[in-house]
Amino acid sequence: MKRSIVGGLSVAALVSLTLTACGGDDTGTDPAAGGGGGSDEPVTISLAGWSLSTTPEFQVLADAFHEQNPDVTVEVNEYDATNYDTQMIADLAAGSAPDMYVLKNLLNFFTYQDGGQLMDVSDVAGSLDENTNGLDAYEVDGTTYAVPYRQDSWYVYYNKDLFTAAGVEEPGECWTWDEYAQKAKDLTTALAATGSDAKGTYQHTWQSTVQGFANAQSPDADILGGEYDYLAPYYERSLDLQDSGAQIDYGTVSTNSLTYQSQFGTQKAAMMPMGSWYVATLLAQQESGDADTFAWGIAPAPQLECTGDDPVTFGDPTGIGINPAIDEDEQAAAKEFLSFIGSEEAAQALASIGITPAYSSDAVTEAYFGIEGVPTDELSKYAFGTHDTRPENPVSEHTAAVQGALGDAHSAIMSGSSSVEDGLAAAESEATSELG
Amino acid sequence: MATTLEARRPGSRLKRRNTLLGLSFILPNFLGFATLTLVPVIVLFYLSFTDWNAFGSAGWVGVENFREMLGDARFWTSLRNTLYYSALHIPLTFAVSLGLALLLNRKLRGVAFFRTAAFFPYVTSIVAIAFVWNALYSPDVGPINHLLRTIGIDDPPGWTTSADWSMPAVVLVSVWRDMGYYMLLFLAGLQTIPTELYEAARMDAANAWQRFWNVTLPCLRPTTFFVTVMLTIGSFKVFDIILVMTNGGPGTSTLVLSQYIYDQGFVENDFGYASSVSVVLFLICISVTVVQFVVNKRRAL
Repeated sequence: MKRSIVGGLSVAALVSLTLTACGGDDTGTDPAAGGGGGSDEPVTISLAGWSLSTTPEFQVLADAFHEQNPDVTVEVNEYDATNYDTQMIADLAAGSAPDMYVLKNLLNFFTYQDGGQLMDVSDVAGSLDENTNGLDAYEVDGTTYAVPYRQDSWYVYYNKDLFTAAGVEEPGECWTWDEYAQKAKDLTTALAATGSDAKGTYQHTWQSTVQGFANAQSPDADILGGEYDYLAPYYERSLDLQDSGAQIDYGTVSTNSLTYQSQFGTQKAAMMPMGSWYVATLLAQQESGDADTFAWGIAPAPQLECTGDDPVTFGDPTGIGINPAIDEDEQAAAKEFLSFIGSEEAAQALASIGITPAYSSDAVTEAYFGIEGVPTDELSKYAFGTHDTRPENPVSEHTAAVQGALGDAHSAIMSGSSSVEDGLAAAESEATSELG
Repeated sequence: MATTLEARRPGSRLKRRNTLLGLSFILPNFLGFATLTLVPVIVLFYLSFTDWNAFGSAGWVGVENFREMLGDARFWTSLRNTLYYSALHIPLTFAVSLGLALLLNRKLRGVAFFRTAAFFPYVTSIVAIAFVWNALYSPDVGPINHLLRTIGIDDPPGWTTSADWSMPAVVLVSVWRDMGYYMLLFLAGLQTIPTELYEAARMDAANAWQRFWNVTLPCLRPTTFFVTVMLTIGSFKVFDIILVMTNGGPGTSTLVLSQYIYDQGFVENDFGYASSVSVVLFLICISVTVVQFVVNKRRAL
């Protein structure tokens, strides 16, 4: 195994060493379009995406843009979803990457930006209106390097049928974590009395399910600060839910490779904190029969306390940046595409396939709730339209390492291998040595 | 001078022809080996002295990466875990596979079936193995702990969900997986032992244990040496089973060097540092192997 790592690594190294010299020349996609220049000539620009058959958003953007600009064709190149960043890094280093590529998460944005693989698109960013969320995440030292087209946020999904069966009141526009925990326990008890083995809530094994909320909501939270006391109450609450049986325990989830889609989709849990991407998945699975048919809704993320402000949650934007090796003739077209993806038209097109666009407006909300099967109750609309979403990953060279240390703490604490204090102390000492 | 000398000797032309012929035989394999293994490994040594992050040129930083490693707690944890894994995995796999080979090296009804069955785990997909074993290990609902509870152990271990038991749990699966392969090597070795030796030993009234100790083991020495070297290298660079079973967790309790290299390189994009750790792993592997060769040579004398 080691050999394959070393091999892959070194092949990548070789490729970059030998090809950087000629990189930039071979990124033109359509030889017919390359030479022309000017805006009247037809131009083809390429965009990297992944799993095109199950992730229609790239093609939707490309088609909607082409409709507005018949001279420009956006060609989507497919990459592997799980190895997207590894493949993209290799292609960029080799000079064979597409003209534009999607930044799948903020964790790797730093790598691309710091490595000089993103073109300055501040002029595009300046032309967008303030309804485009998540733009700040791509700003480094006053320069913007990418434009977001989708902005996922975490909500709590809840099963209305199970709430009714248990006789527990549905959540409101603001609810606290303590209320959430109480509801989870009440649901579990009441559902057990009806003979159901469904739990009150389901928390997936990801560190985001605990740390994401804590980082976004705690007043003194800073994952690059090296002090993680503020995570403790969130962990104690999770462990308490697990110990009281209101949520299936971490060990069972990890050893049995349970999926969150099946836990909520087949009514094994009445609530589930999860990102907005799951709306489209749940709709598709209810349609195909992979998930049961039941009434559900989305509630805003529970808060530390109800202050009357917009509910605070977290989620990284997904954006598109331009490969600096793009042909000069195609730059204008690529920038046009970027300003399009930050526009209301693009957002409406995305919303109508169940994606949470970065651009928010009433028209976008309307498009989103026009999809068949999306819950149209007031609370779901409120949860979709009203929230203060903070990025999960700060942009820094230390983010990946610190998140790694926090991930270790998460598995150690949730599996009961170490106490909350010891787990967080280990993460602190590791983060401190990383942050220097 | 040389050519005239060669021309005079009748055998030299043949010799050169044979050399060329020999080279042409190994050339296809060597070309593949050189481009896919040798050159990348050489580049690796260069990269270990740089801060290369996948883009642009690699900046020379001298021994900075190695100095950083000295103070890197995560590196030491993964080194310690690698040694822990090897200390359990090498002797256990050795003993189990030798035992299996001895057991299946006799005339037995259905011996071919048992040999195949013992080899099954080795040809099974590692992901499937991890999936099934993880389910078996499940602390509350898994069959292993269920069995332990029925025989009176009230507080069975948490296996892959416990920092203390995760490494033994992974070692157990990896012994189970590897035993078939090494059993096959031992079987091949056992069948080269001439039966006359056993007959002679019997004539001298040697019991089964004495025959094993004085005939089987010495005659198996080339095989045991090969198995030990392969097992050691395999244990030091263990990666796949850890990645799919525990992903280094809980906490860092099963984080091994190969996975640390992977994390540094492909997750944190610090290819320079990842290369330095690879070099350290390479040096550990090669020095242990050299020691094994020296010991083996001394025994042979």
